[in-house]
Amino acid sequence: MVRAVPTPLRILAIVFVILTGLILLAPLIVVVGVSVSENQFIAFPPQGFSFKWYEKVLASPEYLSAGATSLQIALLVTLSATVIGGAAAIALHRRQLPFSDILATFFLSPLVLPTIIYAIGMLMFWSAAFGPVSTFTLWIGHTVIALPYVVRTTLAVLAESDPFLEEAARTMGAGRIQRLFHVVVPQCIPGLAAGAFFAFNISFDEAVLSLFLRKPGLTTLPVQIYGQLEFSPDPSVAAVSSIMIALTIVLIVIIDRMLGLSRFAST
Amino acid sequence: MANVRLLDIKKSFATLQVLHGISLDIQSGEFISLLGASGCGKTTLLRIVAGLESVSSGGVEIDGRSVTNLPPEKRDIAMMFQSYALLPHLSVYENVRFPLRMRHIGSRDEQDAHVKAALETVQLGHLAERRPRQLSGGQQQRVALARAIVSKPKVLLLDEPLSNLDARLREDMQVELIEIHKRLGLTTLFVTHDQEEALSLSDRIVLLNAGRIEQQGTPDDIYARPATGFASNFIGSANLVPAQIIDTPGGPAGKLADGQLLPLPASETTRGEANLALRQEDIALAAVNTDGTLKADLRTRVFLGARNRYVLSLAGTTIRALTANDVLIEDGAPVRISIAPERIRVIKG
Repeated sequence: MVRAVPTPLRILAIVFVILTGLILLAPLIVVVGVSVSENQFIAFPPQGFSFKWYEKVLASPEYLSAGATSLQIALLVTLSATVIGGAAAIALHRRQLPFSDILATFFLSPLVLPTIIYAIGMLMFWSAAFGPVSTFTLWIGHTVIALPYVVRTTLAVLAESDPFLEEAARTMGAGRIQRLFHVVVPQCIPGLAAGAFFAFNISFDEAVLSLFLRKPGLTTLPVQIYGQLEFSPDPSVAAVSSIMIALTIVLIVIIDRMLGLSRFAST
Repeated sequence: MANVRLLDIKKSFATLQVLHGISLDIQSGEFISLLGASGCGKTTLLRIVAGLESVSSGGVEIDGRSVTNLPPEKRDIAMMFQSYALLPHLSVYENVRFPLRMRHIGSRDEQDAHVKAALETVQLGHLAERRPRQLSGGQQQRVALARAIVSKPKVLLLDEPLSNLDARLREDMQVELIEIHKRLGLTTLFVTHDQEEALSLSDRIVLLNAGRIEQQGTPDDIYARPATGFASNFIGSANLVPAQIIDTPGGPAGKLADGQLLPLPASETTRGEANLALRQEDIALAAVNTDGTLKADLRTRVFLGARNRYVLSLAGTTIRALTANDVLIEDGAPVRISIAPERIRVIKG
């Protein structure tokens, strides 16, 4: 029998959980609160209630263009990171590559390398090798940063899959390509979907690399928010942040339903 | 339907040799059991026939054509896995249709008819739209069987397909396998470690031991005349008791380590050191000392419901006896045992 947790310890645990939740949520509450303030300055608690900062954001060509850039890059990164990361995970899982373990660690290295160092390196390398940066540069940069997440989630799903499925498919006449599309990829879908979600969010939120590779016409939303905060801070920053929070929540709900569905479908 | 020939197959994994030259001719439509303990190489041999494992030397022929270098997808076989290996993202119907799709067998309508017929064969027509995870173990097993027979393969390979089922379901599936084999007449290779399963299903049993064929024959034959100590122990779990075969006025007899004499059939020709194979079910127990009985010590009684299993010590060797449960002997009581001489097999060496 498991011994009951003593009451004082239990109370302590509950307090700890509530505190953790509060600390996680507090910044979001403040941001959303500020975004509906009538005040001209960023101040909490908000005074009055108004959607005027949302109106300002939606009427601002800078925000809209930065938002479009971010969305475009995030979608491209989702696609590239999912395809490359998924393929890498499948290859790593089979251990048919030489130095699989070293490669696996290498694929995860963007997680541990400080982004600022990667950003400086990327800027210097790109300028020296290819000249001026472009959307393409940012796409590649974000893909590198997002890749480990797709590799991880897909590897995790593959690790739990039945290792005999592919052999069974072989005895049923499935060749290499058929096995890939009828057996291996369908197994990976929950991991790929989770990885795609991470990839989109990481690209959409990424500020450091975007800041280094910034130039007119290539400003992402986080960079725009940063600039706005630096030069003319007003609650529109909170409004655009709230929109980003809402977008993330919508994405989580969609992915959860999809994952839930695909899990239902795959099990 | 096809005949299969295994030609002196040897297989090593790194430095470990698991198959030491297996040759076997399998007739078209024959049901063969590869029987042996775990690690005897039976599954490796099955995987070699499937093409999932390569040979170190030797070859595999199906219908007279060498398939040794063909990958599994190019061999006309079907295999049923111990884990069933159903594709989790496909419905029961699509799982069963999978081999037809992959091998491009028939039009869509013909495939539909084949799938429905295969599902009817295993009585799962009503569950066609379910996912594998929504089925019980027994039902998943039937789906795997339907998937294995749907393409009417030349060779059907079964890798311990019944080992994950409980006893009752296993008996049902055995009957079903026999009936399906009768109906379709597929050449079948069945891997098992369960001697009862092998005895009840097979046309022929191939007993494997440490990568070699120990003995092969029909179930009746192999049960009645085990050729080696291993065979008699593995099939029918006979007790092996060392003895000296000598001539007595009453005919040949086995002299046990403690000097007791066990009469043998007059036709027995072996003399000298040998093992006596005594089947559990052939040993009769009695509490009283009568002529021709041997003294043994009772160690334990295991109640099995319909029968009792007695663990005895006979001349220093532990033996087991299976009896109807109307024989009841108290623990620690002196026991006498007797065996009809014609039921005893003498195994040399």
